[in-house]
Amino acid sequence: MRQVLEGSHAISEAVRLAKVQVVAGYPITPQTHIIEAISQHCADGSLKARFIPVESEHSSMAAVIGAAATGVRTFTATSSHGLALMHEVLHWASAARLPIVMGEVNRALGPGWNIWMDQSDSLAQRDTGWIQLYCEDAQDALDTTLIAFRLAETVNLPAMVVIDAFYVSHTFEPVDVPDQETVDRFLPPLEPRFRIDVDHPQALYPMVGPAFFMEMRRSIQDGMEAAGPAFDAIAGEFESVFGRRHSAVETVGCEDADLVLVTTGSVTSTARLVVAQQREQGKRVGLCKIKQFRPFPAEMIRAVLGSAPRVAVIDRNVSFGSGGIFAREIQGALCPLEQRPAVYSYIAGLGGRDITPETIAEVLRLAEETPAPEAESRWVGLNPDVKP
Amino acid sequence: MIASLRPTLLFPVSRTSTEANRTGSWRFVRPVYRFKTAPCSAACPAGIDIPTVEMLASRGQIHDAWAHICRENPFPAVCGRVCFHPCEDACNRAELDAPIAINALERYIGDAGLAACSPLVSPAAALLQREVAIVGAGPAGLAAGYFLTQLGISAEIFESTEEPGGVLRWGIPSYRLPKAVLAAEIDRIAAAGVKIHCNRPVNPDTLAEMAARYDAVLVGAGLAAPLRLNISGEASIIDGLAFLKQVQAGSAPVASGEVAVIGGGNTAIDVARTLLRQGARPTIVYRRRRQDMPAFGHEIAAAEAEGVRIVELMAPVSAAADGNGVRMTLQPMRAAEVGADGRVRAVPAKQPPQEMRFKAVFSGIGAGVAEPWHRPADEADAIRLSHCAICRGTPTVGYIGDPVTAENSVAHAIGSGKQAAIALHALFTEGPEAVAPAVDRCRVGPGPALSMEIYLNGERSRRNGRVVTFADVNTDYFLRAERCAIPALAPAAAANGFEEAVATLKPRDALAEAARCFNCGICNDCDNCRIFCPEQTILVGEGGRRSVDLDYCKGCGICTVECPRCAMDMEEESA
Repeated sequence: MRQVLEGSHAISEAVRLAKVQVVAGYPITPQTHIIEAISQHCADGSLKARFIPVESEHSSMAAVIGAAATGVRTFTATSSHGLALMHEVLHWASAARLPIVMGEVNRALGPGWNIWMDQSDSLAQRDTGWIQLYCEDAQDALDTTLIAFRLAETVNLPAMVVIDAFYVSHTFEPVDVPDQETVDRFLPPLEPRFRIDVDHPQALYPMVGPAFFMEMRRSIQDGMEAAGPAFDAIAGEFESVFGRRHSAVETVGCEDADLVLVTTGSVTSTARLVVAQQREQGKRVGLCKIKQFRPFPAEMIRAVLGSAPRVAVIDRNVSFGSGGIFAREIQGALCPLEQRPAVYSYIAGLGGRDITPETIAEVLRLAEETPAPEAESRWVGLNPDVKP
Repeated sequence: MIASLRPTLLFPVSRTSTEANRTGSWRFVRPVYRFKTAPCSAACPAGIDIPTVEMLASRGQIHDAWAHICRENPFPAVCGRVCFHPCEDACNRAELDAPIAINALERYIGDAGLAACSPLVSPAAALLQREVAIVGAGPAGLAAGYFLTQLGISAEIFESTEEPGGVLRWGIPSYRLPKAVLAAEIDRIAAAGVKIHCNRPVNPDTLAEMAARYDAVLVGAGLAAPLRLNISGEASIIDGLAFLKQVQAGSAPVASGEVAVIGGGNTAIDVARTLLRQGARPTIVYRRRRQDMPAFGHEIAAAEAEGVRIVELMAPVSAAADGNGVRMTLQPMRAAEVGADGRVRAVPAKQPPQEMRFKAVFSGIGAGVAEPWHRPADEADAIRLSHCAICRGTPTVGYIGDPVTAENSVAHAIGSGKQAAIALHALFTEGPEAVAPAVDRCRVGPGPALSMEIYLNGERSRRNGRVVTFADVNTDYFLRAERCAIPALAPAAAANGFEEAVATLKPRDALAEAARCFNCGICNDCDNCRIFCPEQTILVGEGGRRSVDLDYCKGCGICTVECPRCAMDMEEESA
């Protein structure tokens, strides 16, 4: 049924439909609406889950780790400093092979104190062994959350469903909320591959010495490598049930493009408009949306971008001393190709600064006019009156 | 198809028992279950173990709760009606929302005990072959008889009037304490083995006879002589206590019109509310400020709600009867400095005396002993304890109840009877030197309330005397919850007759109210310690008693922090 939903509530609805059994949560702007709605679902009985209020995000992750180890479906959500506080236990969740799903609302970290959109928080966790899926809008958020449970439970790795602060989390859009029966067909109850069982006592995760540690780590990498094809297969099944197509990488007019713009998250919607306008003006511009950041879909990136002369990447993040993180990953993915496109890296829209159609047009213009990419990422949309 | 994409999982699992790893060796502090004293129980003049009573009640174990009260007080249905409940003033829950309705719960439990006709059970104390005579079947004498019986000492009570109960019977009006409730609780004491002889007044001569026949005599004759106002025309003022007695006996003349009651204590309130019920319009005239009135606050509030008028800072100067009533001359007073007794004094204000006319004037300013021998002589060689005095001689004569307690209430009288019983038992079994230490040993917290259970070396004797404060309670585990409403007649309806003004709680409300109790300082099997222990070292033994497996306890202290009610402490390991 189509409903007008806040982006945050698109995720909470998906959690309800997924029949999650244990939820832990701690409030933080702009995530709070997700966990708030879920606590309401738990209170009114529309979700028969144990809701564990905790005193910090570290504890909420620890709580869902404990719960997941008993073989139940779990969920938590956080943002920004909350995610940073979880960092230590994020490693634990993945190496423990627990299929936890987490809602993550992209927000900057302070100082300067800032509650707005920025990908620094989730991308800082890229090496923790979590699957990361970025969403463009509220419908994408609902669908991706359902897919994330299937995916996490297939490869036994935790998954983060990432939405943009405010642009997605706090805006209302029409969302198709599927009925329970349909969701049940797509997402059956969790059948854990292992679990803590008092009738068969065992200690999970004791010490592992040098003789086995590498193999254990290698198995996480194997899981990540399995997650790519698994996502495609699950997305295919999702499409057959719900009629909506999702892919790790989505393209618009890339086949003949002289210049392909790469985006993630909600800015993709703005970019769709700009790219369509420029196409009408006769410019051969394409758009590539990256949904799946971990595992990084390198093979698909090579297939989609390999033949384009130029690629412009917008990063709402920066790895200080390196540059835009998506751009660097794409450059790495394209490296094995003998003929590879020129990759232009742009930093824009940090800490909630709007990426307007003008900003995107500026990025496209700069990429067209600059004969060869600079070594450093270029910052666009800076206020010329503020001199560092 | 998707299932085939499932990767191999590789992570460590151990099925080896960790029992060999005695993590207890890491410990330098250890948790101990150390039950402490709840502030309510320390404030209860009868020393009732309130946190345990409420714990049992919250589980629906009403009979067990009743039996637990009766270890310390054989009058739960009476005290649940008339006690001034200092326990509630001490309740830690007041700092979170509102104190537990301990008094209303005691009444609920007491009534359940009456409805079930449950007999009082005596602990199997050794019979001592000692006999004690008690003068007066008031609350102190009845309590003394009950506790002496519990200690294996036979007790006989000699009551001067037709029926036992003392002030409970002739003083407290039936709208506060129905006679049937009182009679049932007294019958139960008699059934427990206390012989009660009515119509047996004692005078110094008969006292001497008793002295020859008994191992000890306890005098609990109460305060039966009204204090005098010492003003001119006092003969035209009716003695309030005598009036109350007549009302109970059904022989009081019915008052009507504007009447006055002189005084500010509970007697004045009882007289005024009784007059109101007879159809009169009573005014309480009090010489100090209303906040200085010694009557219990809830009684003053109930009286005012029913329509009793209170005139403060007016001292009677003289009274004069004429054909139509009494003309009172009253001196306006003002509050002065704090006196030696710690109360604000009232001194005459610079205003001329006023006259007020009443149909009748009653005095209710308190009472003293009716006979000098009702209290120990000042020069007597006595073991003077907080609630009684024991004069050593042949035989031993002890004094209990209002004449020897600093505060006068039913609960204090019960505490007095209990203290005398313990003192006599210690005297009989171990000699005079043992009396004070024995009484000391069974204090509840800092005292002066005493516990029979402690004296008999029950579970309470192992409790720590430290009183649990609100800061000791882990309030993370308590949500705010409204205190139960105590069912009562509307004041206007209550003032219309002698029907009981307050009713007993409904079962569901009583259980919910009991469940609000923090159970300060005791274990109520909440199992937080066991749930939170990272090493699973909390063992549950017989009767649910928790203990710590010290082979594995690392001394982290989480159990102690998470105990909601301060029943655990951390203790340094001795080297």
